[in-house]
Amino acid sequence: MEDFINIENVSFSYSADDENIAAPEYVLKDISMKIKKGEFVALLGHNGCGKSTLARLLNAMSLPNKGKIYINGVDTSQTSSVFDIRKTVGLVLQNPDNQLVASIVEEDVAFGPENLGIEPSEIRKRVDDALKAVDMYDYRAHAPFKLSGGQKQRVAIAGIIAMQPQCLVLDEPTAMLDPKGRDEVMSTVKKLNRENGITIVLITHYMDEAVQADRVIVMDDGKVLISGRPREVFSQVELLKRHRLDVPQATELMYRLKGRGFSCDEMPLNSDECIRQLEKMLKRNN
Amino acid sequence: MLKDITFGQFLPGASSLHRLDPRAKILFLIAVIVFIFITGNYFALALVAAFIIALMFASKIPLKMYLKSMKMILFIVLFTGIINLFYGKGDPLVQIGFLKITEAGINNAIFVALRIALLIIASSMLTFTTSPTDLTDAIERLLKPLGVFHIKIHEIAMMMTIALRFVPTLLEETDKIMSAQKARGADLDSGNLIKRVKALIPVLIPLFVSAFKRAEDLATAMECRCYQGGSGRTRMKRLRFGKIDFYGLLISIAVLGGVILCNIFLPAVVR
Amino acid sequence: MNIIETEDLSFVYGQGTPFEKKANDRLNIQIKEGEFVGIIGHTGSGKSTLVQMLNGLIKPTSGVVRLCGKDIWEAPKEIRSIRFKVGLVFQYPEYQLFEETVEKDIAYGPGNMGLDEEEIRRRVLSAASFAGLRQELLNKSPFDLSGGEKRRAAIAGVIAMDPDVLILDEPTAGLDPAGRDVLLAQISQYHKKRKNTVLLVSHSMEDIARTADRILVMNKGRAAMLDDRKNVFSRGDELEKMGLRVPQITRIMSQLKKMGYNVPSGVLTVEQAANELHSLLGKGIFDE
Repeated sequence: MEDFINIENVSFSYSADDENIAAPEYVLKDISMKIKKGEFVALLGHNGCGKSTLARLLNAMSLPNKGKIYINGVDTSQTSSVFDIRKTVGLVLQNPDNQLVASIVEEDVAFGPENLGIEPSEIRKRVDDALKAVDMYDYRAHAPFKLSGGQKQRVAIAGIIAMQPQCLVLDEPTAMLDPKGRDEVMSTVKKLNRENGITIVLITHYMDEAVQADRVIVMDDGKVLISGRPREVFSQVELLKRHRLDVPQATELMYRLKGRGFSCDEMPLNSDECIRQLEKMLKRNN
Repeated sequence: MLKDITFGQFLPGASSLHRLDPRAKILFLIAVIVFIFITGNYFALALVAAFIIALMFASKIPLKMYLKSMKMILFIVLFTGIINLFYGKGDPLVQIGFLKITEAGINNAIFVALRIALLIIASSMLTFTTSPTDLTDAIERLLKPLGVFHIKIHEIAMMMTIALRFVPTLLEETDKIMSAQKARGADLDSGNLIKRVKALIPVLIPLFVSAFKRAEDLATAMECRCYQGGSGRTRMKRLRFGKIDFYGLLISIAVLGGVILCNIFLPAVVR
Repeated sequence: MNIIETEDLSFVYGQGTPFEKKANDRLNIQIKEGEFVGIIGHTGSGKSTLVQMLNGLIKPTSGVVRLCGKDIWEAPKEIRSIRFKVGLVFQYPEYQLFEETVEKDIAYGPGNMGLDEEEIRRRVLSAASFAGLRQELLNKSPFDLSGGEKRRAAIAGVIAMDPDVLILDEPTAGLDPAGRDVLLAQISQYHKKRKNTVLLVSHSMEDIARTADRILVMNKGRAAMLDDRKNVFSRGDELEKMGLRVPQITRIMSQLKKMGYNVPSGVLTVEQAANELHSLLGKGIFDE
């Protein structure tokens, strides 16, 4: 797999251009990472660690002060390719209410393709496909404000999908949703990744969401703290706790049992894995 | 509650009125308003009323919705009706103190009340059967010629679309903030005018702050979706003046003719 | 003594219209003074309507809410005084901040109660310390605070009214794990020190497991359970049927129990689970 997103030594400060500030405070500090095409990456870290800033840099909403970001080999700071980058890397924000432009679902989804100047018949097709992909086709004639939070967020995702991006960056898309809405959005995101091959960068606070990714990147204070497969990352219970991050309870339980001298084959990430492990251990010991 | 307002709402459907070109619908509404105001006698008024009632059936919108939108301004209808009742010239039929009711007064009252009622029904019909985006889209296209005078038609239409989209959201938000401040002991329903206006500050400031936050988010979201103004933009829905619009036009011309004939050949009422 | 008591409490939205919807259906619940009760239920289960009826923001369609044995709607004109006794913190309360300084904003509630300056000042300081707001933040504009601080400032605004019952609707929604932990710790501490009644509405079973003594489970407008948290969480299957999820650790332990292992049901913390499993697994290598 080739590198789809390439972040090279990027630093960013919101006040770097302000001449009155001698030493601007950097939100991102010399960060580098690569994301492969079709990968599902979860980005973790508490508020103010720079995750959201990074999300905005990925689709050229902001530009790095130092370093470069390449999307499919194209430098995001090339002003001529801004709209190409934005339609390649779609950004979904936290509050679904504030992202919807039109009063009818299908007209909202059409907004992106309309901006791109696409033929009406092709827009119609893309809108229908996008609504089907997020399982909201039956609601195409509804008013967004009558939908549930999870449904609204799926419409927002459809609005991006209709621009046929290769990558979706989602900035805490489930933070304002109830558990049902969170499940709906997560299964939509996973489906888009699996079936449509869309690269996913999911920013989240929820560990149960992060464990579903191919790779977890933990950020802290503008830097990458750890990066690796969920099992590798969440095994570092101490480190994560020190940085005030959650660990799935299943993982924490096994970590504690390990600390008391019991051995297990593999760190579990969810309850099913944990139960299987415990069963094995119980059988072995008795 | 604020959320119960039906006037100006869109009710999706598949009736022939829903399928009319929104531009045609706006022009028809203007035509109907003209009809309503040139009626000179009960026959003409009845003809226009019959036309509007026929359209109400064609819209397949439950009668209840029309009544609901009427309910809101029923007071205005009755009030203007009653004022007009006492405003006729001629011999009084009934005299209560200095108030006298004449035949012309009764006619005036009926005419004014019916005209406002028909006007409301006709405009509700437009908003019930036309999605807000279609509506603003049609206005944008109808006003396009004004672009010659450097009026930014697309921007105005976009603002209307967004305003319509956010009205329910902001109404809901107002309800929420009012409840939250009431929970902190705010007294929003009593006292004199100055006291009440002052009591609204804790509601208005959070509302503005949140509206600005929403506007900022929305601007980001629109940029993320490659919005760059009106140029180079296409639309999913093509507006086409079709057969159905042509028939609508024919019917309207017929009604117009009818109204004019009634006005000319049938006696005008005493006004 | 029951501080809050409801009798056949019902609320119907849009009564008499075709859109009629029962939000609450004949609720009979009792909450004792000094309790910490968690309220869970999926969206639309009637939690929000219930808590707004408890402090008189919504008038019940039928039934009675009693505060310290007295019907709160006995004197409808006095309903504002009920809102001072039953403090309600709404979801995303930071959207209610409006004053120039944090201090003035916290003082808004006590000011509406008609207290004198000195008392208001005293209450603001005590509420700020309960909410874990540093002194120097009090003179800042509330709009310059961080997300977590804004949330706590807004909660302090309700605490400052010194209510006998404090109700919080989804207080941790949208916070990151660190912000959530700080806030829950502050609420627990407030409950311990003030010894008053706290009702916490949440979607998060983990939050409720960490704080509440008793749990009210709402389902389709009715009170499905009101019991000690251990008993509620040991009925995991029923909760899942209502679309609710028990904490991961509770699920793991109850699954093991179902498989025939000798573990208790209703385990709420990882620590407790580790202890139970430790004794079940026998000796680890460190025990020898």
